[in-house]
Amino acid sequence: MSLTLADLRPADAWQRFEPSAEQPFNRRLAAHLYRRAGMAATSRELDEAVRLGPEGAVKQLLSSGDTLAKFDQEMHKFAQVTLAANNPELLAGWWLHRMRHTPAPLVEKMTLFWHGHFATSAAKVREAELMLQQNEMFRRHALGDFGQLVRGIARDPAMLLYLDSATNRKVHPNENFAREVMELFCLGLGHYTERDIQELARCFTGWEIQYGHFKFNAYQHDEQSKTVLGKSGKFDGDDGLAVILDQPATAEFICGKLLRFFVADDEVFTPEWVAPLAGKFRESKLSVAPVLEMIFTSRLFYSEAAIGQKVRSPIELGVGMLRALDATTNMVQLANRLRELGQMPLYPPNVKGWDGGRTWINSSTLLGRANLVRYLVENPDTRFAGGPLEQLLDKQSIKSAADAVDRFAELLLAVPLAADVRAQLIASLEQNGSLRPDRLRQMLHLAGTLPEFQLA
Amino acid sequence: MLTTTRRKFLAAVSAAASSGLVSLSPQAPGFLCEAAAAGAELPGDRILVVVQLSGGNDGLNTVIPYKDEVYRRRRPSLGIGEDRVLKVEGDIGLHPALTGMATLLENRRLAIVQGVGYPNPNRSHFESMDIWHTAYTKPQDRAAGWLGRAFDARRQVLAQATDPPAMHLGPENQPLALAARDVPSPSIRSLDQFKLETGGNGQQREAIVAAAKAPRGSASDLLKFVQTRTTSALEVSRRIEAATKDYKTPIEYPGTDLAQKLKRIAQLIDAGLATRVYYVALDGFDTHSDQRDAHAGLLGQLGGALAAFADDLAAHMQLDRVLTLVFSEFGRRVEENASRGTDHGAAAPVFLVGSRVSPGLIGKHPRLDDLADGDVKFHTDFRSVYAAILEQWMGWPAAPILGEGFAPAPVLQS
Repeated sequence: MSLTLADLRPADAWQRFEPSAEQPFNRRLAAHLYRRAGMAATSRELDEAVRLGPEGAVKQLLSSGDTLAKFDQEMHKFAQVTLAANNPELLAGWWLHRMRHTPAPLVEKMTLFWHGHFATSAAKVREAELMLQQNEMFRRHALGDFGQLVRGIARDPAMLLYLDSATNRKVHPNENFAREVMELFCLGLGHYTERDIQELARCFTGWEIQYGHFKFNAYQHDEQSKTVLGKSGKFDGDDGLAVILDQPATAEFICGKLLRFFVADDEVFTPEWVAPLAGKFRESKLSVAPVLEMIFTSRLFYSEAAIGQKVRSPIELGVGMLRALDATTNMVQLANRLRELGQMPLYPPNVKGWDGGRTWINSSTLLGRANLVRYLVENPDTRFAGGPLEQLLDKQSIKSAADAVDRFAELLLAVPLAADVRAQLIASLEQNGSLRPDRLRQMLHLAGTLPEFQLA
Repeated sequence: MLTTTRRKFLAAVSAAASSGLVSLSPQAPGFLCEAAAAGAELPGDRILVVVQLSGGNDGLNTVIPYKDEVYRRRRPSLGIGEDRVLKVEGDIGLHPALTGMATLLENRRLAIVQGVGYPNPNRSHFESMDIWHTAYTKPQDRAAGWLGRAFDARRQVLAQATDPPAMHLGPENQPLALAARDVPSPSIRSLDQFKLETGGNGQQREAIVAAAKAPRGSASDLLKFVQTRTTSALEVSRRIEAATKDYKTPIEYPGTDLAQKLKRIAQLIDAGLATRVYYVALDGFDTHSDQRDAHAGLLGQLGGALAAFADDLAAHMQLDRVLTLVFSEFGRRVEENASRGTDHGAAAPVFLVGSRVSPGLIGKHPRLDDLADGDVKFHTDFRSVYAAILEQWMGWPAAPILGEGFAPAPVLQS
């Protein structure tokens, strides 16, 4: 029997999930893993994941970044082409393309996580090249050392321009970046004082962006002693960051956020739930991969407290639908459609990033989501396994409407269909009891408007 | 029901109800009860429009104590002198870009509430915004906003409604102020895109509505939440499409984003939607550097939009029932910074627009020679402004929403 959060205690929840006769690692659980650790999976990928079992599949997700060289080269070339136009919207399309085709979905998912965490919007930065540089930095450290990410972002031209922190003089320290390091990037509210912000801002004096590059301006650096969170010294920016990274609150804050991002939107994970994960994070010197491994192999992750307990983000919805149906489409148009749903990549709403969860859902975005699904299945630019939609039926040897509905539901939906709704979908796809391939578009459109479709 | 007919019909019901001919009690004729329920809130009820200035508006350069020595000294590059301010009264003037507001003031349609804030000001955008939205200064309960809680308190009336109690127009996330435990309010990015596309296939539309409504045996809370929102989105979009088809206005609105949003709201109000609260935001007030032109542009947009909106409502005989509240999460530091900008501050002015406001300045300008951490001190708690809006404008008890101890500020004509 599946467990809810109320049935689990933190100690049990973090134990390894062992498939059993009652709860085998089947296509449904594999699809769950791929929806969360990536952007959904094709039918073929699900078969492969079931064969590998949960540990093998997670291992593959964690290590697939190592074999990316060829794909990376190609993507880098594409990116350079889009830079020529200096239009970050094209770069957003490039990133969606990358998410759709990547052989390392977890790396891409974590890149998106860091983009939301260290949120920087191209709407203000405007320079596509700086956005790309930042994006590549997130990808390089996606599963790696959090400390390196933070030190990287402290020098990142896009971020510092975004926060109006391209200059920081000792007579008038700019508190903006220091505030966000504490409030949003590392500690979270309640773990520092206004005084700590002012002192950390002094550590960063002289850190500047000139002509799109990071420069240390020794003349503007405050050489005097600072006291950050009780530690004193003639700190520079990196020293200040080291003090912050060393706080237990940092590991707790990041792990709490990873829990909400990967496991469940609504559950309030109290400190005792986060503690084992934060312990792992500190033990691994703030390396991210071990934390992810712990999440994706836990009993918690495969419990009903997690499955279907997240709202699909717009990117997950768009890219996920394409991946699940092995489809391709015009990604720049998709990026602009995602803007209407509240999540255009490279354009987060503010430095706090996307709130996610239930905030994705309102009347406007629900209609937009329904319209996006229709656009994806009706648009002549969308190809399915390289051809028209109907051929998916042949490829998967689907013979009946019921069979089609069940197969597509498995690929697209995180929660089972109610009997009435399933019957309605089947009826929409057949006439006089036989399958009508020409109605597949309508059926998928209908499926894509279901409340169930909004869950991950 | 046809929109115009429905509107007139409901107006008649409303008139009958307020004149005491019908009490809308169980004894009233069935069709009248039904009509009232269809509106839930009757057309003719008062409406609140909230305009949020996001990022922290520099109150000191909005409502300006232009003769103040400290002001002139602390604002060497940003200060605005006597020759440029739009004079209000005494030593107070408006930013020169606020010509729209000056017109509102002349027409006695603008109240300027000075020195509004709350104790122990928080200088984080998100925290301070949450405080304004929830009306709670401690992060005890951030699940519902002040307006959302008012909707929850009226959920039995609202359960009958075909129009949502509030509507948020704009691309940003739904404001926490509208978040309610039980009563959903839609966020609408743009009314043009607020429709379900089916390529004219009516059957598909019906299928979508039926599938969304179909009972789910063992749905999780999250699924139930999405299902309620989906059915309500489909219903509201159908109503708005019908309601806004033939709106005309003699007023020329500025082309700005804010003005166009307010124009849409005027349309919805005139169409007789029973929605009681509309919410829009204008972003960009976080002026840490090179504030002068950016701030002037924003204020120009604000004043122009508010003036056109009031004129349009007046032209449609709707101004008497619409109150607009303009606020920001905080003001800015008195002393400008080294980047010709200003950093996060505390108290600031709040504006109310409408024909029933108590016009002109309300409360004194905060003193600039008595600061707390470099910021002006508040003297009017924002919750006492909310209390006036809830009690005296909307007719909803304020204490259950805001807690005890917030007497309504004198912002409305008695």
